[in-house]
Amino acid sequence: MPGIGIPPLEANLPPIVKRNYGKWITHEHPRPGVIKHDSESGEACFTVRAGMPPNARISTQTLRTICDVADEFCEGYFRVTQRNSCEFVGVPENRIDQLIARLAQMGFPVGGTNRSLHNTVCCTGYLHCHLAATDPPAIMKAVSEMLMKEYTHDCLPAKLKISGSGCLNNCGESSTADIAIIGVHRDLPPIHEEKLKGCELPLVISVCPVGAIRPKGPGMIEIDPKRCIHCPACSVSCAAMAPIGSPIGDGVAIVVGGKAGNTGDGPAMAKVVVPYLPNNPPYWPEVTSAIRSIVDAWSANARKDERVGEWINRIGWEKFYQRTSLPLSFKIVDNYDARALEYAKANVRFTW
Amino acid sequence: MEKIQLCCAKCGFVVEEYTANELAEIPRKVKRYEYLLKKSSICPSCLASGRLKELRATEQADVAGPKVQVSASTPAPVGHEEHADSPTPMMDAISQGSWPSHAAELKKTRYPLQMYEQALQKRATQWGYGGYVSLPGVATGVLVRSSARPDITKGSNFVRIMDPCGNFFKTDGMRKLCDIADKYAYGLLHLLSTGGDLEMLGIPTENLKPAVDEIVQLGFDVGSTGDDFRTSEECIGPAKCDLPLYDTLGFRAAWYKRFLDDVQYPRFPHKVKCKFSGCPNDCVRGGQKADIFVCGVFRDLPVIDQSNVKTWVENGGDIGTVCTRCPGGCLNWDPKTGLSIDGDSCLRCMYCINKIPGVRPGGDRGVAILVGGKLRGKYGPMLAKVVVPFMKAVPPDYKEVFDMIEKITEVYDEHARKKERMGDFLLRIGPNEFFRLIGVPLSPRLFAQPRTNLYYHWEPEEIKDERVSATEPIQGPN
Repeated sequence: MPGIGIPPLEANLPPIVKRNYGKWITHEHPRPGVIKHDSESGEACFTVRAGMPPNARISTQTLRTICDVADEFCEGYFRVTQRNSCEFVGVPENRIDQLIARLAQMGFPVGGTNRSLHNTVCCTGYLHCHLAATDPPAIMKAVSEMLMKEYTHDCLPAKLKISGSGCLNNCGESSTADIAIIGVHRDLPPIHEEKLKGCELPLVISVCPVGAIRPKGPGMIEIDPKRCIHCPACSVSCAAMAPIGSPIGDGVAIVVGGKAGNTGDGPAMAKVVVPYLPNNPPYWPEVTSAIRSIVDAWSANARKDERVGEWINRIGWEKFYQRTSLPLSFKIVDNYDARALEYAKANVRFTW
Repeated sequence: MEKIQLCCAKCGFVVEEYTANELAEIPRKVKRYEYLLKKSSICPSCLASGRLKELRATEQADVAGPKVQVSASTPAPVGHEEHADSPTPMMDAISQGSWPSHAAELKKTRYPLQMYEQALQKRATQWGYGGYVSLPGVATGVLVRSSARPDITKGSNFVRIMDPCGNFFKTDGMRKLCDIADKYAYGLLHLLSTGGDLEMLGIPTENLKPAVDEIVQLGFDVGSTGDDFRTSEECIGPAKCDLPLYDTLGFRAAWYKRFLDDVQYPRFPHKVKCKFSGCPNDCVRGGQKADIFVCGVFRDLPVIDQSNVKTWVENGGDIGTVCTRCPGGCLNWDPKTGLSIDGDSCLRCMYCINKIPGVRPGGDRGVAILVGGKLRGKYGPMLAKVVVPFMKAVPPDYKEVFDMIEKITEVYDEHARKKERMGDFLLRIGPNEFFRLIGVPLSPRLFAQPRTNLYYHWEPEEIKDERVSATEPIQGPN
């Protein structure tokens, strides 16, 4: 029976961490994929970071081989980072090359530290979700493949984080990433009348962000097609209004400039730059080439330590669209709530 | 030993159990007991809504649990042999290349491959409606997913396992977890979901209870579904970082000790996510994702070790970039006198501390509490807003901080509408009303900027006669 909570703090910490808990004084990046932490006791801890499959989806078979590697190189412990990388903590300095070679043999690239592409994060998409408008794991696989050099080399102006979500629910935390894709629906949600009995209608009406759902006689609702913003809020609350989407209507939006840290211009949510691109599995060429053009424009023009959002803040959106050659659309300007006018420009400080 | 049970009036599902001693001695338990007794809630087992019934039992007699009633769907056993050999051209394409592939991983498991393959070919997901279910004694942690393609698979349940501190795993525990996944499920793990859980996919309904029992025996626990506290996430903190301003791992462990009841029993208007970052670098992205975000902060200036900085500069450290990119514009490097900081404009943003080895955070450390971050909700992505700019985090029980978290959730619970995230609630009632309800002292650090309009409301009792008395002579401006 549940009720025990998480395992005790010490249970899963490696010995080198227990010895130096809270005593670290500095860190450096000796080479891509390797981080060195120095403790005040003089001990140095080397961490090797390896990329994992998109969505951190891993079979028990592969996971057992990772366990074997962890047993062999770092006393039987490993960790998973916030960005779904696998970290081997406390690797002896003289065995780092051996570990990297071993990981390469297993098909795990080492990198994603300092000024490079950090591993991608995404939601489950078509793998296991009924709301997905696209398949972020497959897109992230294609993107990682395309940006392999950026992952394994410190060759970018600052760190680059790429995420993917299959729908507006944003489970892949797209709005927090430098560059991200979000699946978008363009169809109205269905209303399966026979299932409406099981739904809490006042709730379904109240969750709609734009008030597009309204009662229509007893036990029945209707959707105002002019108002619908195709978010899956009603499909989440009510089985009668799921699934939303269709093969023709679904697609991908691209957002840029999210950031969590308080350095630079401070935390920011990502902004929509491309409202729709079609779904073209298995490689999504339109999406990957749009991401490529943003990465290229940023890495060629940004200053050191300037994240994508900060670079855009400096050069402005006019120059951003000029440098990336992305198509413009009126859809990128909001018109859905009271804050809409914030998205229009209120000064004439243009760049030409 | 007398036991007091709170159970569903309709099906008898035991929601919570207390011993008589607990209710006599622990005020927190009493409060919770009274709260649950008063509140109309939905039974996690039969989904009937209503008030809970109190039941007193003197023996440890096991009340027979009701049968599992799955609301959304009844999933089928794992794997369907007839589709095992069907071609998977799309997945084969995704399996190629030098980056590790999830499609290749799926092929090593009993996941119904055609569900994914058909989705890619048809450009539409093949899964159906899903939701959270409960088992007797397991109120949260179990999810069902029905299938829109019953010819391939009938559905798939999964459980959410709360990850250990710092996401560190010991290999022997992980191997045993793999054994459970092989025995009961597809043999496929989602090693870290963005919510901070480990997910085990594809458990047939009849195996859910034994699987959860085995997971719990192993020392892990399930939870984090429904309208409760979701799994909290912490940054790596003192375990492997030189910057944290409080012990995030210890904080999270203490948080679970205090709030485990609320993690494993849904009672809020909507989910509440708590995230803990050790410093303003915010590696868990709590300022964007968390309804309640506890961030380490310091109040005095960064401490500079001049000789260390000098060595770094001599070895090629790029001090020029750091000085120009400082957001407060307060860093100044002089080769003779060293590095100096202009205290008036320092934002404590961590940039110089991140980049220069000789600069460390100051010693006056504590935490800030921000609320209302979210990525979706009614009004889209929203950044968390400061509610408490500074508070001391005192181990081992962090009472002051946790009391504030409890206060925030109480206000949220009482005033928010159903399925309204904290950020939407904050937007609806406005920050000044929220601050008043929580009772935080006024501080300029709570505001980004003052308003531009003057459309505010005065209550009659706020109006006092502040005019100079007519009998006194009015002082002129000389």
